[in-house]
Amino acid sequence: MEKTMALLEIKNLHASVAGNQILKGINLTINPGEVHAIMGPNGSGKSTLSNVLAGNEAYEKTQGEILFQGKNLDDLAAHERACAGIFLAFQYPVEIPGISNMYFLKAAVNAVRESRGEEPLDAMDFLDLVEEKKKMVQIRDDLLERAVNSGFSGGEKKRNEIFQMAMLEPRLGILDETDSGLDIDALRIVSDGVNALRGSDRGFLVITHYQRLLDYIVPDFVHVLVNGQIVKSGGKELALELENEGYASWNGEQQ
Amino acid sequence: MNLAELRKKAEMEFSANGFPTTREELWRFSDVSPVANAVFSNDWKPSELEFQSLEGSLVVVFENGKLSREKSNLGNLPEGVRIGSILDFPDPRIGSLAGTQSAFVAANTARFSDGLWIEVDDGVQLETPIHLIHLADLDGAAFHLRNFISVGENASATLVEEYVGEPFYWTNTVTECFVADRGLLDRYKIQRESPSAFHFQTLEARLGAEAVFSNHAVTLGSRLGRDDIRAKLAGRGGEAICNGLYLLNGKQHFDTHLFVDHAVPECNSHELYKGILDEKAHAVFCGRILVRQDAQQTDAVQSNRNLLLSRGAKVNTLPQLEIYADDVKCTHGATIGELDEQALYYLQTRGIDPVQGQAMLTGAFANEVLDEIRCAPFKAYAEERVRTWLEGVAK
Ligand SMILES: Nc1ncnc2c1ncn2[C@@H]1O[C@H](COP(=O)(O)OP(=O)(O)O)[C@@H](O)[C@H]1O
Ligand SMILES: [Mg+2]
Repeated sequence: MEKTMALLEIKNLHASVAGNQILKGINLTINPGEVHAIMGPNGSGKSTLSNVLAGNEAYEKTQGEILFQGKNLDDLAAHERACAGIFLAFQYPVEIPGISNMYFLKAAVNAVRESRGEEPLDAMDFLDLVEEKKKMVQIRDDLLERAVNSGFSGGEKKRNEIFQMAMLEPRLGILDETDSGLDIDALRIVSDGVNALRGSDRGFLVITHYQRLLDYIVPDFVHVLVNGQIVKSGGKELALELENEGYASWNGEQQ
Repeated sequence: MNLAELRKKAEMEFSANGFPTTREELWRFSDVSPVANAVFSNDWKPSELEFQSLEGSLVVVFENGKLSREKSNLGNLPEGVRIGSILDFPDPRIGSLAGTQSAFVAANTARFSDGLWIEVDDGVQLETPIHLIHLADLDGAAFHLRNFISVGENASATLVEEYVGEPFYWTNTVTECFVADRGLLDRYKIQRESPSAFHFQTLEARLGAEAVFSNHAVTLGSRLGRDDIRAKLAGRGGEAICNGLYLLNGKQHFDTHLFVDHAVPECNSHELYKGILDEKAHAVFCGRILVRQDAQQTDAVQSNRNLLLSRGAKVNTLPQLEIYADDVKCTHGATIGELDEQALYYLQTRGIDPVQGQAMLTGAFANEVLDEIRCAPFKAYAEERVRTWLEGVAK
């Protein structure tokens, strides 16, 4: 009873997509303030896990339980999870022609505020917030005026994801291969942005294929996901081990 | 042939031939038998409908097919501008563009009882938009309205037409537009007819050298309707713009038939039509561009994009390019798609509920057409009507 409540508790999670069982019994607990990394080969189910957490209806949870701040997520739709404080930075952010980034962000910020019973931000306060947050990821003004992710480079899309996360201030940030497609400078900027958001009441699930990102966003725990299961957990040194040995041995063991 | 003779001929043709059937090529997807089978009255009564004019406009109100001088505001027209009832201005050009080319035009030519007449003299810039409001609330009536618009050389004008009514009636309008050399006419239409009404409109425009004619149609109403929009580029360097947005639900059926005739060299035409359809709505878009042999250096662009929000909704889109000149630039594209589920999910993961998300996405789709509207008060008005409609179908 003395223990503080976990931010996220995943118990024996099984999930399928398009009729295929992808997640096969995942257990994971993230406490406030912790950064957990999930590493795994392509196709192991990393994006599936992030989509199941975010509430994508194309993914079906077939067994197990997900508790967010002690509350079962089953009955919450994606937007309700976002309002509750779950943020997914996508591996492949979606382009939305015709909706400007600013208009979109204002709608998002005010939707989240409204769900908390707060007044919507007016134009001035919203701009102040943008000014404050855009520095974190060095996002250019012209990207704010452009349609959401439309014609953005890979790196600009990823920065935009972190910018949105900074604007929405979630409790749990899920970063799905945010490092893919980033050069070293962009990787540093994005990592600095994430590190600035670290705090005692916020947790992160950092999904990556490569160890490199974890030099910048140093995790408290590392988990190895292979074929829909966490096959090993450890501290940050586990990432280096994987970097040297690769996933091959794990893949082998699964057969 | 003078107008009286033309009207007699039109009555004879219409009586003899009646309405088109779906066996005719141009009416293949449009069953107008509900109009053909209905019986309409020629009664008249004043309208009880409320209306609101666009800010700063010259308002002209037709109630149940008749010009209302009391409700209109035509007291202080600028010099060189004449606006009134077509019955008071027997211009010899009336009937020269539209006579009997379809049953609907013939019926109108034979039976029109009133209509708007506008003449803007050479060199006169009419900055104030003219807001033409048709109020219809006479159950079972047919309204044959005949409009005539003449914009002189180096002159300009903006016309906004609004159609609104209840419950059951048939609006059948024909508009003839002449835009002289270097003249400019921007015409906007917002069609908010009753959901059980019929709305048919034929527009014939003839453009002089370096003249600009733009037509923007926002369609929300009527159970069965059709726009026939025909622009003839008859002088070098002319430009015709035909844009439209149709938002349909229930069992609405709406057709758009464009015909742009490039008769001389160095003219441009642009057409952007977009549709959003829900439930069992059906739209037809037929965009014909004719580039005659002489019309070298023609630049013609046509695009028709449709968004279907339900499985029952349907669109037939038929671009038709006929090109007889060799030095031309002509492109066209047509698409029929669904709401982008990935985009909707993306918005949702940022806290935006699916109802608002759908309204945002459909709004973005519609905005491309609305952004082309140059008349600011009409743009604001159309945006508000469109937003209300989109929020309604998102629920
Ligand atoms: N929407 C989907 N439809 C069908 N199969 C999918 C879908 N999403 C993921 N999968 C399948 O699930 C498996 C895991 O994919 P994913 O979670 O994207 O892996 P990772 O992110 O680890 O590379 C793959 O075999 C992939 O083909
Ligand atoms: Mg992935």
